[in-house]
Amino acid sequence: MSTLPPLAPPQAEKPAAGQGPKKPAGLKALPYALLLPASLVLILVLGYPFGRLFVLSMQKFGLKQQFGAPPDWIGLDNYTGIFQDSQFWVVLARTIGFCAAAVVLTMVLGMLVALLTRRVGRVLRMALIVSLLFAWAMPPLSATVVWQWLFDTRYGLVNWLLSQFGGDFHGHSWLSNPWSFFGVALIIVVWMGIPFVAFTLYAGLTQVPGEVLEAAELDGAGAAQRFRYVILPFLRPVILILTALSVLWDLRVFTQFYVLQKAGGIARDTNVLGVYAYRLAFGENKFDVGAAVAVVMLLITLLFTVFYLRQITRQEEL
Amino acid sequence: MKIRALAAVGLATALALSACGGGSDSDDAGSEGEAQTGTIRLWLNGEDTPQELVDYAKAEFEKANPGSTLEFERQQWTGIVEKLTTSLSSSDSPDVVELGNTQAQAFEAAGALLDITDQKEALGGDDLVQSLVESGTYDGKFYGVPYYGGARVVFYRKDLMEKSKLEIPTSTEEFVAAGVKLKQDNASESDFSGIYYPGKYWYAALPFIWDEGGDIAVKEGESWVGKLSSPESIAGLTTVKKIMDEASGAPKDADEAKDYLDFCKGKVGMLMGPGWKLGQIINEEDGCPELEKQIGAFALPGKTAGSTAPAFLGGSNLAVSAKSEHPQLATSLLKILAGDGYQTKLADLGLLPVKKTLLSEVSGDEAAVAQAKAAENTRFTPASENWAGIEAGSVLPDMLVAIAQGKDVAAEAKTADEAIAAALNQ
Amino acid sequence: MSLTSPPKVSQPPQAPTTSPIKQTKRRRPGDLAANLAAVVVVIIAMFPVYWMINTSFQRGVDIQSDTPNFLPWNATLGNYRKAFEQGDFLSALRNSLTVTLITVVVAIVFALLAAVAVSRFRFRGRTTFIVAVLVVQMIPAEAMVISLFKVLDGWQLVNTVLGLTLVYLVVVLPFTIWTLRGFVAGVPLELEEAAMVDGCSRFQAFTKVTFPLMAPGLVATGTFAFIQAWNEFTFALVLMNKPANQTLPVWLQTFNEGAKGTDWGGVMAGSTLMAIPVIVFFMIVQGRMTEGLVAGAVKG
Repeated sequence: MSTLPPLAPPQAEKPAAGQGPKKPAGLKALPYALLLPASLVLILVLGYPFGRLFVLSMQKFGLKQQFGAPPDWIGLDNYTGIFQDSQFWVVLARTIGFCAAAVVLTMVLGMLVALLTRRVGRVLRMALIVSLLFAWAMPPLSATVVWQWLFDTRYGLVNWLLSQFGGDFHGHSWLSNPWSFFGVALIIVVWMGIPFVAFTLYAGLTQVPGEVLEAAELDGAGAAQRFRYVILPFLRPVILILTALSVLWDLRVFTQFYVLQKAGGIARDTNVLGVYAYRLAFGENKFDVGAAVAVVMLLITLLFTVFYLRQITRQEEL
Repeated sequence: MKIRALAAVGLATALALSACGGGSDSDDAGSEGEAQTGTIRLWLNGEDTPQELVDYAKAEFEKANPGSTLEFERQQWTGIVEKLTTSLSSSDSPDVVELGNTQAQAFEAAGALLDITDQKEALGGDDLVQSLVESGTYDGKFYGVPYYGGARVVFYRKDLMEKSKLEIPTSTEEFVAAGVKLKQDNASESDFSGIYYPGKYWYAALPFIWDEGGDIAVKEGESWVGKLSSPESIAGLTTVKKIMDEASGAPKDADEAKDYLDFCKGKVGMLMGPGWKLGQIINEEDGCPELEKQIGAFALPGKTAGSTAPAFLGGSNLAVSAKSEHPQLATSLLKILAGDGYQTKLADLGLLPVKKTLLSEVSGDEAAVAQAKAAENTRFTPASENWAGIEAGSVLPDMLVAIAQGKDVAAEAKTADEAIAAALNQ
Repeated sequence: MSLTSPPKVSQPPQAPTTSPIKQTKRRRPGDLAANLAAVVVVIIAMFPVYWMINTSFQRGVDIQSDTPNFLPWNATLGNYRKAFEQGDFLSALRNSLTVTLITVVVAIVFALLAAVAVSRFRFRGRTTFIVAVLVVQMIPAEAMVISLFKVLDGWQLVNTVLGLTLVYLVVVLPFTIWTLRGFVAGVPLELEEAAMVDGCSRFQAFTKVTFPLMAPGLVATGTFAFIQAWNEFTFALVLMNKPANQTLPVWLQTFNEGAKGTDWGGVMAGSTLMAIPVIVFFMIVQGRMTEGLVAGAVKG
């Protein structure tokens, strides 16, 4: 569609307007002053402990060191230890697979719900927003417990319903087979993830100028094209950050798996990185290895986002 | 209520309070033998210790140590390891803490707790229940005084046993046979269990393993060797498998927490549970108080007729933080909590007192008596500071679930042995 | 075909809120399908919530019955009574509200300042800051428990509202900065400039023109910050280790004690109580915003 060049996203505002030789000198310091509070908090409360975490990942640091024994410097031993642990690779592959499925599902469904919210009338829109809010407001512990319970072997609503419709699901254990275990986990994680994504995307959608959409429609752009060439570029920064956050959350997903593993199935067949790292840190008191796993997870998430970062830097969207 | 009063003061004050921490009132006085005064922070976990017992301990403590106060903080078992790991190392550490007996050794080995070997005699000495002393001891030094114990017993439905013309079993064989018969006789009830055995219930598998002469792991020289695949352990596990296959109708991958629900629905003939399970079964809210008269209890029988199988002794230990500013006050509190007066009150709640002399005095309902009998012969998980890793790794439940699902017993035991050896030998 | 210069400027800057609202309600062939889909989404989103509330009013025996009870026929307030009696609900509520509200307000202010800086100015280190904020979010917070505790302990901030609030701030700040940055940038600079031509100061131009147009973004990020801080468990557990300082998610765990299994009625009643302030917060924020999410006007 050469008639519809990708719309310059809103971020491409003219930066020159806010800057230049004509500006008074005092204004030059203004942006730094504006950044100061946030930067200060981030550096002190996040940067500094992270530095410590990084150091810790290269020491021998267990419960003894936590209680005062001097830690030995062991360089990259914790990292090589992880990479040589065959279980780590299995868990990593499983986690990435699960994460990819969950993020794609969450983002796609979240976007559809956001578009739907924009599309329907006022009453339904209100119903959608309120129900999303309720789902979002539900404490994670209870959300997980309710879902686990819906799939319970003995008293689960799912088994009851399926049996009502003639299936033989009496006493069926959804968690004993790893695949259906991951299916249940996926449902829970995606269900819990969608409200936030849909909510934020919808907020973003309200900023897309109607005139642009209308003009595009007059030019004969179909719904799909309007989405591709008008809406998507506008939402790009929000989508980027939501995807990054979802990747991050789903990569270290913990509560859902912890609760489900307690409820059924065989834990070693269903471990993911979050549970694995938790077990290392607080189960086996290997805070050093736990720290190394955290650094590795950080690197993995970075790899995921490098692609995006490259793209946006190239387009000077930043 | 201390907690409520504190909260009412408002957060700003709470902040100020925490800043002056565990009472720096008069530390400088503390020369040997001279009485200190100060504030002692006591952490007890979960709902096992009712408020009246806490009040009793507080009164006793403040009577024995005039001028000092006891600040009680009820903690939860959920997340207690994280809390202990951080708090005990902080500048504002609690003074006396409760540790689950499978968690205690890790903290003892790490140097988080105060060595109280010299107080052992005063705290009960040889009268203390041996397996709980083991969990409180590391490398020959005594850190954690036993707080309470709990041994699993068998609860059964008297009416169902009678209907099937069964007597209380006196050997493992009879026990399993009774379970199988109960299940056959009640086949009309769906999911009926002669013996309720959910796959993840690893505590209940241990007596069968131990009774055959097997074990989880044994220290040979300097290193631990997994023993679940030894012929003795396999024999025990095979009995467990028989129970799962022929006597149980429980979900193959569930845990035992909600077993009382099936019991109350009349789907269970016998189940193995800790002493407090009876209270859970007959609770007003979702239990079945109407069944109370039909519930009996006995200690799990052993292989040879008339014997009892070794029971896993659950429970907890009390210890003093190495960072406590008032170690003398803290040990004085330990003496009250492990003392006869307090322990007798604990026993009235269905928990096992930690002294042998008190154990023999336990009377009352069938469950309490059965538990005291089971407690005569108790065992404990391997005494290693790394044991917690095996629990966190869910090694034993995984093995049992796999066995319940029909996988090969020997192969699963071998897999578990490898995981156990890897975790313990670090 | 002048799509590249969007017709935003054509709008009268003095009255952005009265912009001609483009109707999304025009009858289109897909409407029935869309409405049906919306109903399905509402049902799926609400079902666990409904189940939570339904369960919270049921007696223990009814919760565990073989056939599910879709309505609490033998309704009881017992679970709620228990929720008020077990632990100290009111103190936990107070702690949670204090920490969460401070977090939300401070996070929004700090993030807004930073967002304005990066989207309205061009200066050295700007790109570095943006990338850094993105990367910072990748640090798995749970792995930091040990080191963060040590750091805060050194600053005497364990068991203080300030300590926990600082932690929550860094958890929510990166996201709030990024999102608000998008929303500030979404308001064309020309609007502000037009307002300044009309005699507004730069600050006035921002508060009168840009700020109202960002309302949906503020609602979304504020709600995000609120829910994150409200539901956080791990840091609250270790940093507030005295029961009197406990927050609601930690309190909720009293119904989930290991060996005895989850007290379902208690958890559900507690969770329902916990969800109410979130809804109230949203209603207030939403009401304050002139152009809220529900109005959902498409601005031009």
